[in-house]
Amino acid sequence: MGASWLPASLRNTLQCACSPRPMALNRLRIFNTRTRHFSTSPSSRASFAAPEISFGRQREVPQGGRDQAGFQPVDEEERPKFYARLVPSSPSYFTAQPLFTDDLLVLQNLLRRYSTLPVVKPGEQPRMSWRSLTEYRDQVGEAVKSSKYQKIVQILNRLNYIHPSLMPPEVRAAINEYKRDINAFQNIAKVSPVDRLGRTLGAGRRKAATARAWVVEGTGEVLVNGKTLAEAFGRVHDRESVVWALKSTGRIDKYNVWALSMGGGTTGQAEALTLAVGKALMAHEPALKPALRRAGCLTRNPKRVERKKPGHVKARKMPAWVKR
Amino acid sequence: MSTSTTCWKCLSRPSLLSSQLSSRIAQVTVSAPFSSTATSLAPPLIRGNNGPQKGVKGTTAIKKKNRPQQTGKPPMPGERKALRKRVVLSNTNAIEVQDLVDLNQETVDGLLKENASGEYTSPVAGKVVGLPGTTVDSLRAIESFKTSQGWGLFRRPSLLVRKEAIDLTKSLVSAAKDQITQRLIIDGARGTGKSLMLLHAQAAAFAQGWVVINIPEARELVSATSDYAPIPDTMPQLWTQPTFTSSWLEKIQKANKTQLDTLKMTKKHNLPIEVPSEISLSRFLEIGVSDTDVAWPIFQAFWDEMNAKDRPPMLLTMDSTSYVMGMTEYRDKAINFIHSHDFVITKLFMDLFSGAIKMNNGGAVIAATSRSNSPTSISMDLAIMQALQRQAGEKLTRRNPFERKYDERVDSALRDITVMELSGVSKAEARSLMEYWAASGVLRQRVDEQIVAEKWALAGNGVIGEIKRNALNMRI
Repeated sequence: MGASWLPASLRNTLQCACSPRPMALNRLRIFNTRTRHFSTSPSSRASFAAPEISFGRQREVPQGGRDQAGFQPVDEEERPKFYARLVPSSPSYFTAQPLFTDDLLVLQNLLRRYSTLPVVKPGEQPRMSWRSLTEYRDQVGEAVKSSKYQKIVQILNRLNYIHPSLMPPEVRAAINEYKRDINAFQNIAKVSPVDRLGRTLGAGRRKAATARAWVVEGTGEVLVNGKTLAEAFGRVHDRESVVWALKSTGRIDKYNVWALSMGGGTTGQAEALTLAVGKALMAHEPALKPALRRAGCLTRNPKRVERKKPGHVKARKMPAWVKR
Repeated sequence: MSTSTTCWKCLSRPSLLSSQLSSRIAQVTVSAPFSSTATSLAPPLIRGNNGPQKGVKGTTAIKKKNRPQQTGKPPMPGERKALRKRVVLSNTNAIEVQDLVDLNQETVDGLLKENASGEYTSPVAGKVVGLPGTTVDSLRAIESFKTSQGWGLFRRPSLLVRKEAIDLTKSLVSAAKDQITQRLIIDGARGTGKSLMLLHAQAAAFAQGWVVINIPEARELVSATSDYAPIPDTMPQLWTQPTFTSSWLEKIQKANKTQLDTLKMTKKHNLPIEVPSEISLSRFLEIGVSDTDVAWPIFQAFWDEMNAKDRPPMLLTMDSTSYVMGMTEYRDKAINFIHSHDFVITKLFMDLFSGAIKMNNGGAVIAATSRSNSPTSISMDLAIMQALQRQAGEKLTRRNPFERKYDERVDSALRDITVMELSGVSKAEARSLMEYWAASGVLRQRVDEQIVAEKWALAGNGVIGEIKRNALNMRI
């Protein structure tokens, strides 16, 4: 969704349309850009060609003039500064990426100001996921290099170390501006508790199938929908999928599984059960998480059947070419 | 049934000459044997009719491709079937397992030892035993070995003695001792070893000197592939299968030769042919083998002889039983399907199951169900379910009042049978089996608790056929 290649006049419209940043924020940014790029003073924005002429205090008021009020002497303090030429609002106007430079300077200033505040120990800071480089590029509409954006990220990481109880509001605001809309680290999976009968419940999905598995300490017996593994799944591969969480961690003779699966086909049900058994096992032994993660028993496979397209026979298949 | 000799399929009468020739037989079997096919009267096949037909326009767009020339000789008649049915019982490349105990009389007696808590204490309980050479020959004669059971992987045929097998052996021994007829149906999920349980019963029976009679595949009794004939003056009409009976007698004679050679004819039988007296039962059966028309009367006489005093017990076994629990493919004179219980061989089994016939010297009739490509008999399924519930002391399942396909004759035959429900083997049994495979050099893997537990779980809690499939068969 890069917009940095567009001419400057078009960028803002496109940003409104496709930027991941909230609309209000975008609009704010657009106004800012305008003012920063072209403003001389707010009052003179109406007409660039002919700014108001001030005649100073010494000029006399003409008698019987057209205007009843006549020319009032304007106070020097009230009157905005008049520049003879257009002056950019930001000194970084002449850099290659003025918006980026501005952002970096703002953050650097914040860091300089608050670098003496106490920080938390490494690892104790709240986990943050910052906007990606592409998102930032779309936001500012400039071709920002990755290494440049890393400077911003470094400062943000340092600011994030400030102790939360002493975090100044402006730093918090700056951090919020660069935070991703959805923080993946806030999504903490709920762990099923071990119930009074010693069971844990895990749920899993794959393709169109859903599965629930109750895992209890035992001798390695498995029942799926009331059937043994051999009756439930004809393919040995599918059977292995069901007990893969137990097999890959060497726990196959330590637990019994009682599972329900529905929807989809055999492969879907078997692999939904992989996930369900994996989660239920992790509730018994949380220390197995890395092993289960490596075995692929905790990751939902998001692949679904590809939709059929018009003009195609299936998702990709094209009709055979026929002469005439 | 009248003595009409019209065959409904070929609508021909047997020639006068053949009836004169077999006038001796005709005293007993007056009606002509039915033939299930009438190939001789079929119109000759028209070959080489490749020319354009009149009035049919050919399309120019698609040209017919010339069929590739058939090269090589087509297999001889029966060659393909022989190849399909070939049972290999030995593999010289397999390692011979040292100190494998044979399943002989001594072992069978030792199997029944129990301790105070009712556990079997025999050293071969839960272990693999070899089958002695004579037993193997006999079992091969009655076609007990099947092609899909993986015998060809090992040096010699051997069996796992699981707990249910010892239970079965125990009931056989008690049947011989008390001179009662055990009636048993073996049921279980696919691959749980139902046919091998039959084989174990047969091997144990051979080891104890019983006479074993087997129907290896009940389908052959009903599929209308062998000829059949009505038995005159029977009400309701009964039917024989002369060729099948004759080959069956041959198998019985071959398998039990050592036992039957020692037994002499003692009774006088009303047979359609003259039989020298005082011959051995083995020789007597050979007469039935050579003459298909008298095969069934010979078997009846044989059955009488076996039920005389001081004869060995008998074991009758049947596999894929659900085939005989309904109508056959055979048709009667009115072109209705004949019920399978109207065929005398099936009727014998069903009378034994219902308790109408008993074996005077004790014995057992055992049938195994099949889960591979066998018809469903809801009457048999219900009877098995009810028997299991009766054995467990549970409330019996009622028949479905809205179901019409129950078979009254099956219901009455299987009213009070005993059912052995097979499921997976225990982990200890699975382990000793896998150790045997490893010792044979077939399973090239370390056998430890972890691997046994894994295979056991993957095989649906120890279903033995699935363990074999998982461990020995090639994974593609």
